Amino acid sequence: MKRREFVAASAAAAGTSLLGLDAMAETLAKRRFSPSDELNVGVIGVGSRGKYMMQLFLRIPGVRVTALCDVYEPRFAEGCEITGEDTPAYHDYRQMLDSASDLDAVIVASPLSFHGEHMVGSLEHGLHVYGEKAMGFTVDDCNAIVGATRESGRRLQTGLQYRYAPWYREAIQRIRSGEIGHVTHVYGYWHRNYNWRRPVPDPSLERLINWRLYKEYSGGLLAELGSHQIDIANWIFDEEPTSVIGTGGITFYHDGRETFDNVQAVFSYPSGGTHVFSSIIGNHNVGYQINIYGTGGSVKLTLEDGAFYYEPARANSAVPQELIERGVHTSATLSTSGDMPYRGPGLQIEIPEGEAGNPSFLAAAAFVRSVRNGTRPFADAQVGWKSAVAVALGNEAIRGKRYVEFADHLESKE
Amino acid sequence: MDKDGQGRASPSSVVSDQSSVGSTGYQLDGVLARRAALLALLFSSGIASTPCSAAPDSLFHEARPAMGTTVEILLYASTRDRAAELFEAAFQEIERVEAALSTYRSTSEISRINTTAAHRPVVTDPEVFGLIARALEYGRRTGSAFDVTVGPLMKAWGFFLGDGHYPSADDLSEARAKVGWQHVALDSAQRTIRFLTPGLELDLGGIGKGFALDCAARVLRRHGVDSALLGAGQSSYMAIGAPPEARGWPIIVPSPHNPARALSTIQLRDRSLSTSGSNRQYFEVEGQRYSHIIDPRTAEPVTGMVQVTVIAPTATDSDALSTALFVLGREGAAALIEGMEGSAALLVIDDGGEKEIVAIQWTERVALMDK
Repeated sequence: MKRREFVAASAAAAGTSLLGLDAMAETLAKRRFSPSDELNVGVIGVGSRGKYMMQLFLRIPGVRVTALCDVYEPRFAEGCEITGEDTPAYHDYRQMLDSASDLDAVIVASPLSFHGEHMVGSLEHGLHVYGEKAMGFTVDDCNAIVGATRESGRRLQTGLQYRYAPWYREAIQRIRSGEIGHVTHVYGYWHRNYNWRRPVPDPSLERLINWRLYKEYSGGLLAELGSHQIDIANWIFDEEPTSVIGTGGITFYHDGRETFDNVQAVFSYPSGGTHVFSSIIGNHNVGYQINIYGTGGSVKLTLEDGAFYYEPARANSAVPQELIERGVHTSATLSTSGDMPYRGPGLQIEIPEGEAGNPSFLAAAAFVRSVRNGTRPFADAQVGWKSAVAVALGNEAIRGKRYVEFADHLESKE
Repeated sequence: MDKDGQGRASPSSVVSDQSSVGSTGYQLDGVLARRAALLALLFSSGIASTPCSAAPDSLFHEARPAMGTTVEILLYASTRDRAAELFEAAFQEIERVEAALSTYRSTSEISRINTTAAHRPVVTDPEVFGLIARALEYGRRTGSAFDVTVGPLMKAWGFFLGDGHYPSADDLSEARAKVGWQHVALDSAQRTIRFLTPGLELDLGGIGKGFALDCAARVLRRHGVDSALLGAGQSSYMAIGAPPEARGWPIIVPSPHNPARALSTIQLRDRSLSTSGSNRQYFEVEGQRYSHIIDPRTAEPVTGMVQVTVIAPTATDSDALSTALFVLGREGAAALIEGMEGSAALLVIDDGGEKEIVAIQWTERVALMDK
């Protein structure tokens, strides 16, 4: 939006504002956004995810990407290939926040350990934030992001895009209505078979490009993959976990990496729910799936679809009289049928024509709508907090192969 | 593979290309075509993976199902681990492009455009917009021989799911009403796409595989790869550089009616090659053989053309051109290719009478056909 317009808009709004006119509010007022206007977006972290998200944002009417920030020079040319223009480049996010006065929002897609600094800094500069998951690296980061979101009055949406996937919404609405009975367990898997490395042009760039493999920057598989599954479990149970038991290790790739190449964590929920999460990157068999178990049935959700499965009927049923006339057989063989896995088809979740969509695109579009209409994002900072804190504490458990009670670590929670 | 990079064509089957006829190229007679271009690379028995930077790079190969076919990549890398990372990066790029362009995925960008653009202009990102613009430009340059909206005609002729059938007059006229690249309106300032006719659908099947290969090749180059070959189901190849000490990656265009024999062997280097053929996909009605390639101008399957191989600077171009030339026929193909720098084509024609090969700007040797 044009500077003159938002100064005028902020002057008009000042009279009715409930906020005090301190320095912070003044900064924020300068960023006031007009719904009908163009939305200018900056990108902090123009790596694979940042590039992907900015391309999706460019499919939304009125959105322009007007600033790119990264510490790795080749990313600027790659980013400009996506914007199709000579987008201004910044090597320091502070410089971008100070200089790029036309920005309305930022996409934060930097390595996890920088999320807190980048998101809080952007919010304090009056920018709306689409912040990649996991929202924060530490509990303190997560608290700071929630606080800065509240104080800034800006929108923060966390990159938990499956909240916007039509088949997830449909499934969870039906689960909530009791379709599979009382839901007690969620088994989440994200298994792959590759080493999770990106090619590195020079060994000196290893930690920059493969930051996911180093504990200084990364929460490993639980953060990069498990944060989604944790969020889905939180959504299903409608609460957040209070304890976790974890384990894991480096089993497949002894290449100097620090984050585990397989992790297992069991999260307990206050109302009795359990979420078992597993990620293995040396075998692809189960891929990505979330199995939701209720007393009356199950749901399987994948990255592209979902299906309901119903438990076999157990009720008494009428039996033909000839059963008595025929007699029942005795045998030493244990019947396995009751313990064999269900192998039939499920009842696919149908998405009405025209409502399907790429979850990340739908999430981006919803974020822009929230910014324009001033509404709270569905995947807001609280949702991000619940997933990211569980990741941080889950990693405590996994690395120590132990039990972690959340209450012991959340004294500082607001 | 053979280290000198030479193809496997039998010397006795290869003739000199001196028999040029007129400005449209070469005409050699007596041909039936049977197969798409065939990659004839033989692997050396031991693919080394010694992690020693001083050692020469070794050749690695990986194939994965993608884009409704098998995508394969050959590349030279120092170690097996390095090759694995490069393969992963390239295949992830192909998956990214497929996820955006596939009409079989309800979550793709093309599906979003197809379900919305008849109702209102749809904003899309510069990459997808650019590709659609390029596809429509091929529609213009080929006089509609290449048309990204041809889908309804393909369906009417039963080429999507079945083996093909002659459609009823009603089905055909209904389908024709939904076809025409001219009915796609682009606004490059707003980056919007709008369908001016209801029922229109974009299907980038004739250009998207090539585009994905170009994107994956760009990723490999970005990672420092200077010798690789990327292929999609034998119908399109993109070459980065050449194997060590070779002129190029040897690609054999087989004789359509005798696949064991080479029609021509190309040393492909920093260029792309695509083949369209009707030998494997066709149906017959009263002795007339119909290919699975529709001429959007007549709404009928092409007859008479058996195989088209095109060389072009990018796989996006060669992919679109191979379909376009198949439809255009000899004269139209020559006029189009001769105006395009760095392009060449080899056509195999069998229109019931003369069977012939037409070579347009084709600099490699072409074999004479079996009579």
